[in-house]
Amino acid sequence: MSTSRRTFLTGFAAAGSFAIASPAVLGQAKPRVVVIGGGAGGATAARYIAKDSNGAIAVTLVEENEVYQTCFHSNLFIGGFKSYEDISHRYDALAKNHGITLARARATQIDRDKKEVVLSTGARLPYDRLVVSPGIDLKYDSVAGWSKEVEETMPHGWKPGRQTQLIKQKLDAVPNGGTIVMIAPPNPYRCPPGPYERASMFAHVLKATGRRDCKIFILDPKDSFSKQGVFQEGWEKHYGAMIEWLGPKVHDGIKSVDPKTNTVVTGFETYKDCAFVNVIPAQMAGEIARSAGLAPAGGYCTIDPASMKSAVDPNIFVLGDACIAGDMPKSAFSANSQAKVAAMVIRGELTNARTFPARYINTCWSLIETDDTIKVGGRYEAKDGKIAATETFVSQPRESAELRKENQAENVGWYAAITADMFS
Amino acid sequence: MRGTGAVRLAVLGLMLACVPAEAAGDRALGEYLSSECTSCHQSSGKQVGGIPAIVGHPAEQFVALMNAYRERQRDNQAMQAVAARLSSEEIAALAAYYESLKPNP
Ligand SMILES: Cc1cc2nc3c(=O)[nH]c(=O)nc-3n(C[C@H](O)[C@H](O)[C@H](O)COP(=O)(O)OP(=O)(O)OC[C@H]3O[C@@H](n4cnc5c(N)ncnc54)[C@H](O)[C@@H]3O)c2cc1C
Repeated sequence: MSTSRRTFLTGFAAAGSFAIASPAVLGQAKPRVVVIGGGAGGATAARYIAKDSNGAIAVTLVEENEVYQTCFHSNLFIGGFKSYEDISHRYDALAKNHGITLARARATQIDRDKKEVVLSTGARLPYDRLVVSPGIDLKYDSVAGWSKEVEETMPHGWKPGRQTQLIKQKLDAVPNGGTIVMIAPPNPYRCPPGPYERASMFAHVLKATGRRDCKIFILDPKDSFSKQGVFQEGWEKHYGAMIEWLGPKVHDGIKSVDPKTNTVVTGFETYKDCAFVNVIPAQMAGEIARSAGLAPAGGYCTIDPASMKSAVDPNIFVLGDACIAGDMPKSAFSANSQAKVAAMVIRGELTNARTFPARYINTCWSLIETDDTIKVGGRYEAKDGKIAATETFVSQPRESAELRKENQAENVGWYAAITADMFS
Repeated sequence: MRGTGAVRLAVLGLMLACVPAEAAGDRALGEYLSSECTSCHQSSGKQVGGIPAIVGHPAEQFVALMNAYRERQRDNQAMQAVAARLSSEEIAALAAYYESLKPNP
């Protein structure tokens, strides 16, 4: 077929799809969707809108980084189960396979009146619908003595990239007999089982490298944590007394940290000369969501559980860690699931595509030690004004080694699938 | 040979008659519901780790498997949770959709 004929046909196909576009967007070439954030929520949303609309919707993905390092499975990188390359992903295929326009810039403002996103390059991107999935920001003032200035001395590792690498470097430098203190975050935060999987990976590395005399203290502002029973059972089984979890009743409050002397002070005790302190602070919705008025100061965005639409702006959808998703935890699996609901609703609004009742799903696997993986998850629907769990499950104590090994095989398969679902 | 052909046709007719219950599910509904599957089961049909490929799976088998999860006769907490809230119509829709796909790993 000659090029001109092919171009003509493509143009014709696009015109054909346009003909069924809803009246809201008549008079312009194609309805436009802008997505802020190329993570678990944003990349999935951009991909599904572009793929399922067959080019009838123009999709632009705004992402400031060229490479996305996943926080999910970053603990497996820290534990030596994955390479840094294994957890790094690029956006090229989204442009190539689905015609998504990539805007490599930071979104600095959402002009909700004009329906435009302003970029750090000065460009303005008009939208008919906007998807906001910027993840979390850290509350640097939530632990006394800790701040952005000292985040390399006492790393958090709760945002990907250099921070993840710092955690691994610091862990590798801990001498045998050294003390590690992890300060866990208060609810609600990104990845509820994440801190405890990470402590497991610390112990795994220390044990495997002959540093069995090290001690890992988890100082927690919470009275309990995700999958607590099975985590603690696993710690005792694999690591003896290496990991000690202390809730607020025991430590009597996390008072302050001193990065100069690597000291952590609690109401009950002072941990001096720590070999490594991992501060995971309190969290809130990413800056762009807060500055656009989609979330209250220091909080997360309220959404409509049936559509993932922002409660304050019907043209904006908020996904993933930045929103309050009822019973769903802040996980990549959740963000990916929410993105598909939003994509369906958006196609329904912009091209009259068929829509269905929203359903959501999540599973979080956590690796405790080689081939010993636990899981927690559920299925969710819009009910009583929130995203409510209709089914839930969690690993139980004393499960067979075989089942735990199968869980890890699932975990590996899930990672490959979700990253393909986001980036291919 | 002729006889065999006629028998074949008759069998085919029978199969077609049976199809609606299984494979003639609502494909568009199946496609939407499948977005719940693709977080773990790759839509290319590629298999990695312990999660089976389901692309191109025969519809009849697909329905039987999902029913077994729904009735909790097959183990797997995540799959039981998925199946628990699916109606027979939705399972048929998913089965029709997945059967219609060709693996492209
Ligand atoms: C240690 C750890 C372990 C985890 N393990 C798991 C796990 O096993 N399973 C699981 O499901 N989840 C896990 N998670 C959670 C998971 O990483 C998050 O829930 C998920 O990434 C949330 O997706 P999101 O789209 O909301 O945000 P993100 O994935 O963080 O994506 C946000 C993107 O937006 C970009 N961005 C932000 N603001 C702007 C802006 N203004 N302009 C342009 N770009 C912007 C960022 O660069 C980023 O790429 C883990 C997290 C951690 C920290």
